Amino acid sequence: MILEAKHIHKYFHEPQKQQVLNDVSLQIDEKELVSVFGESGSGKSTLLYILSTLDTNFKGDLIINKESIKTMSPSCLTDFRNAHIGFVYQFHYLLPEFNVLQNVMLPAMKLAEKNRDEIKEEALFLLEEVGMKDFGLRPSYKLSGGQQQRVAIARALINNPMLIIADEPTGNLDQKNTDMVFELLKDITEQRAKTVVIATHNSKIYKNSHRTIEMIDGSIRL
Amino acid sequence: MPKPIFNQTNFFIALQYLFARKKQSFLATVGVMLGVTTFIVMINFMTGVNDFLDDAVFKGSPDVIISGKQEGSSKQQSLGGNLNTLKNIDQINTLLSDHDNVRSFAHQIISPAILISTTNQLPGGINGVFPLQEHQMVDLNRRLIEGRGFESLSEENTILLGVSLAKRLQISANDTLKMILPNGKSEQLLVAGIFSFGITTIDNVRTYMPATTLQRLLGKENSITHIHIKLKDRDNVAIKKTLIQKFEGSTVEDWKDSNKTIVIGNKVRDILTWSVSFALLLVAGFGIYNIMNMTVFQKRKDIAVLKTVGYSSNDIIFIFLIQSIIIGVFGALLGAGFGYIISYVISTTPLDTSDFIIVDTYPINFNLGYYILGLAFGVVTTILAGYFPSKKASQVDPVTIIRGL
Ligand SMILES: Nc1ncnc2c1ncn2[C@@H]1O[C@H](COP(=O)(O)OP(=O)(O)O)[C@@H](O)[C@H]1O
Ligand SMILES: [Mg+2]
Repeated sequence: MILEAKHIHKYFHEPQKQQVLNDVSLQIDEKELVSVFGESGSGKSTLLYILSTLDTNFKGDLIINKESIKTMSPSCLTDFRNAHIGFVYQFHYLLPEFNVLQNVMLPAMKLAEKNRDEIKEEALFLLEEVGMKDFGLRPSYKLSGGQQQRVAIARALINNPMLIIADEPTGNLDQKNTDMVFELLKDITEQRAKTVVIATHNSKIYKNSHRTIEMIDGSIRL
Repeated sequence: MPKPIFNQTNFFIALQYLFARKKQSFLATVGVMLGVTTFIVMINFMTGVNDFLDDAVFKGSPDVIISGKQEGSSKQQSLGGNLNTLKNIDQINTLLSDHDNVRSFAHQIISPAILISTTNQLPGGINGVFPLQEHQMVDLNRRLIEGRGFESLSEENTILLGVSLAKRLQISANDTLKMILPNGKSEQLLVAGIFSFGITTIDNVRTYMPATTLQRLLGKENSITHIHIKLKDRDNVAIKKTLIQKFEGSTVEDWKDSNKTIVIGNKVRDILTWSVSFALLLVAGFGIYNIMNMTVFQKRKDIAVLKTVGYSSNDIIFIFLIQSIIIGVFGALLGAGFGYIISYVISTTPLDTSDFIIVDTYPINFNLGYYILGLAFGVVTTILAGYFPSKKASQVDPVTIIRGL
């Protein structure tokens, strides 16, 4: 087991007090491809932000790799996320000031476990895997949505994280690109032995994942 | 182990942002540059003028003057040889010799006279001096234009003239002129030298001749009218009070009394320099503050992404702060360079002699300290201006931004 959420409750106080997650408990094993499925507003994103340690303001506990993230200081958490968690958003969010290759390299440059050349080699290798090898020197804003999402996946992989979390990664893509991105995430799970959690509406995706968690109004349907 | 915030990666990211908006970065740099340039040029020029006046006026004049008090009406004085001679000279001498703050003092006998050359005749004030004493008060050799200095006054019937006075009399060194004193006595004098202090009001009227000659002609052997005092610490004029209390029969003036306009002028120039420079740097600082604030607002998505992939709040502060610092350092260095060039050009610009000062070119003070101060000013302003937006950047909440709110 790589990740365990224990009785997570999440409230928003603005504009009025509202419970968004209600006693959510779940366990995810290594090398699992799990999809989180549910209507818009059911709390998928909120849950994923908590699972990816971006949001620590919740009740309950989150244990990743046998460590409770509630015991970690903010700076520890940042380093932890840097080394162990890759995140893919619905909007790819590449940095427009940097070219494709630099975007992929950024998390590894922060980790600073390898030198610049090794990181570059690794990044080129990942770009090849996602089929974007020829675009390395292009400014990141000069790519199509599907291409940007593939670069974002390469960026999420650069530090070889144990957990990849994707919040509606295909939400803005056409069917062809959706298939391509999902295939990539599936390959990552199978070939690189990673754990992947995807929030999605897309029935094709959740039908093809190892396990589906369905959310209704902030709770998991059992 | 925590990694240092100042690292290559953060620096690289900062540079990337800086170059991504070349125009704004350039304008911000120019802003700082203008502030520092103005500061340097103004302070070089203003302190140059101050120093020049200090040198010309205060070094050429005594710090404290004791003179005999006028008895009776002023009409009487102008009519006849009724000079205001100084009393209690011996006691004053003792007091001055013993005083800690007195560097040197010199006796003078000063009398009005009319100077007559072959072409012109002019009124003037004649300073009868004791050459050895006076030499300690005024460094006349540095200011000589023609002829000899105080040493020539060891001969009787010699006179030294201010350059403007000499010009109006159309006289040069080694010429002779005639002097008529208020008591009607007249005498032929040899013009031994001509000097210039660079201040029109001095060069127009000042003359030096041997006190002994003047005393003899006035029939006032051993009398003097003034004692000139140079202080060790010019700003401490406590001695003035002592003298006034002890010697009621005399008038005591210090350099501030005699040069009020110059003292005020120096102050005004100081205030002007500091306030204008400060205002300009404030404007430059605001410019940077605005640009950085805007950047942080526009880049909040990037900041959120950087944070989600593992960049800490301190990394973010550094990434944005270093941009301001780079702008500040470059702007300040350019400003110091330009400031130097402009000051240099001014210092070589010929200056028409005005009614007030006589110099060839504008006086400029190239003190290195001002350049260091200007650099520090520019850099500190930009760091302050950059810090608050950077702090704001570090507080961006990635979840809020990624949700697209
Ligand atoms: N910052 C916020 N403040 C207040 N309410 C929020 C905030 N973010 C999300 N919500 C609410 O929480 C609920 C769950 O949102 P979300 O997790 O984004 O759902 P999903 O991703 O499944 O569409 C929604 O009702 C949404 O309006
Ligand atoms: Mg969502």
